[in-house]
Amino acid sequence: MKHAVMRQEAFVARHQDEWAAFEAWLEVRGDSPREARAKQGQWEGLRDEDVPARYRRLCQQLALARSRGYSPQVVERLQTLTQRGHAVFYRAPPPQWRRTLEFFLAEFPRLVRAQRGCLWAALLLFVVPLVGSFVAVQVSPELVYSVFEPAEVASFEQMYDPTNPERKLGRESGDDFAMFGFYIMNNVSIGLRTFASGLLAGVGTIVVLITNGLMIGGVAGHLQGVGHGDPFWRFVAGHSAPELTAIVLAGAAGMQLGLALVAPGRRRRVDALIESGKVGAKLCLGVFAMLVFAAFVEAFWSSIGWMPAWIKFSVGGALWTITLLWLGLGGRGGSVHATLPRDASNVRPGAAAGRIE
Amino acid sequence: MTRAAAALDTVRNVYTPEGVALRLPAAGPVPRAIAWIIDTAIRLAILIITSILVSLLGKAGFGLYLLAYFVVFWGYPILCELLFDGQTPGKRALELRVIADDGAPVGWLASIVRNLLRTVDFLPLGYGVGLVASFADPWGRRLGDMVAKTMVIHAPRDRPSLRPPVEGAHAPLQPLQPQEQKAVIAFSERAAQLTQERREELAGIAAPVVGSAGALGVLRLQAVANWLLGRA
Repeated sequence: MKHAVMRQEAFVARHQDEWAAFEAWLEVRGDSPREARAKQGQWEGLRDEDVPARYRRLCQQLALARSRGYSPQVVERLQTLTQRGHAVFYRAPPPQWRRTLEFFLAEFPRLVRAQRGCLWAALLLFVVPLVGSFVAVQVSPELVYSVFEPAEVASFEQMYDPTNPERKLGRESGDDFAMFGFYIMNNVSIGLRTFASGLLAGVGTIVVLITNGLMIGGVAGHLQGVGHGDPFWRFVAGHSAPELTAIVLAGAAGMQLGLALVAPGRRRRVDALIESGKVGAKLCLGVFAMLVFAAFVEAFWSSIGWMPAWIKFSVGGALWTITLLWLGLGGRGGSVHATLPRDASNVRPGAAAGRIE
Repeated sequence: MTRAAAALDTVRNVYTPEGVALRLPAAGPVPRAIAWIIDTAIRLAILIITSILVSLLGKAGFGLYLLAYFVVFWGYPILCELLFDGQTPGKRALELRVIADDGAPVGWLASIVRNLLRTVDFLPLGYGVGLVASFADPWGRRLGDMVAKTMVIHAPRDRPSLRPPVEGAHAPLQPLQPQEQKAVIAFSERAAQLTQERREELAGIAAPVVGSAGALGVLRLQAVANWLLGRA
């Protein structure tokens, strides 16, 4: 029996030093570019600049090994090395912490404005039930019992009892930090679920938005009706801006995910979903930050009972103004994809496109 | 590989820019479920330990516990996948790994997407949606994987050894077809993982090639493999 091609053993013998060198490089320098840079001088093996060429040779050797029908073990070893090389060359860039501020100041508001349609839809789905149930409970107060159990209603009344000015607002018991933990756990989870359940063709998101609108409107309407309105409004004024906005934004993120499934446009459905999944994840980062901030305000500021109403409402108003200005104007003058200025005359010297100044 | 075999196989071929196919063995629902159970046990253990520690701190400790609960519930899989290269401890135990579906390591945004969407895959109970999706998908992906463009693969830790199992080379008594050569070589390389009885049973099939059966047949067949591989 004649073999026209190189026998496996000869192939392995000729190349295995090369493979071992590549593997050693992967072990020592492949994991973290930062670590590799820091230890530049201490490495004696395969030079970094030779690695891409070695990797391409490895790819070729893998293809040869497969086409020559070498044993599964040899092919497996080459495939493992190739795959590890591939992972080093094509890994996603790590999160850039330096860009965090730029993301929150510019990219996130731009991303929000880019979802204008879904944003309006989510806003309506949230605000209409909210206002509707508020008005409905004003008109016929017994309707509140169709949303809440009587015990729940009683505990709301107790939480915002105006005859007891000493007590903390908006809670039955527990200190500020315990409530902070609770608000994080509860509110952020709701926000993230609002987004994720959008994958059910948007239905999950719509249900969450409507039920939350109904409940918030119901509580507010009832407390207003029974004369506990003043402590209630003093409580919610502070954190209402970040919290309600974040829920609507999470709703918009969920709606655009659902829309990608229902109406993918001129894309494959799965491609539309992948695209809107990325958008949704970025929106969720912002929603997460807003809800953490809201939880902080709610736990440590909103509950202060003795604070005069005008301070509470001024702070609330300021937060609403900042939130809306931030989302409405943040990152204006640049686009999500950095574009070249069409007219050089309107670019001030030193002003970079897409940067906050 | 025949078309029927290709249709049954769960290996995903990813063609890299270098023009070579990476073969990614997709993991099915059962190992993934076991990995999830291990992870859930670890998460419960973390929470129980946290609750014991924070109970010393009174009411503020309860807030700390809820924060820990939040991190363990939402953050654990994301953080593990990012810190341990696509492997939560449960996945590591089952030798599974999350990767991007082009064979690259999973990115942080993709990890956030696939783990947030567990909310949907978990519906209506115990990953019902995810299970149906992974049965329907050729590579066993749940919905979160599809949207995040990720998949879970088998990533065995041990490296195959290239040492010959027996010394000496021996030509076969009759010429072998390429498929038969492959089978003999595969037998030789897998022999260490088999019991002696199974080795003899398998070598018995090839008795005409080596001229003897039993323990001697095994040794001779491995010598034939050495000869085919060009070992001296």
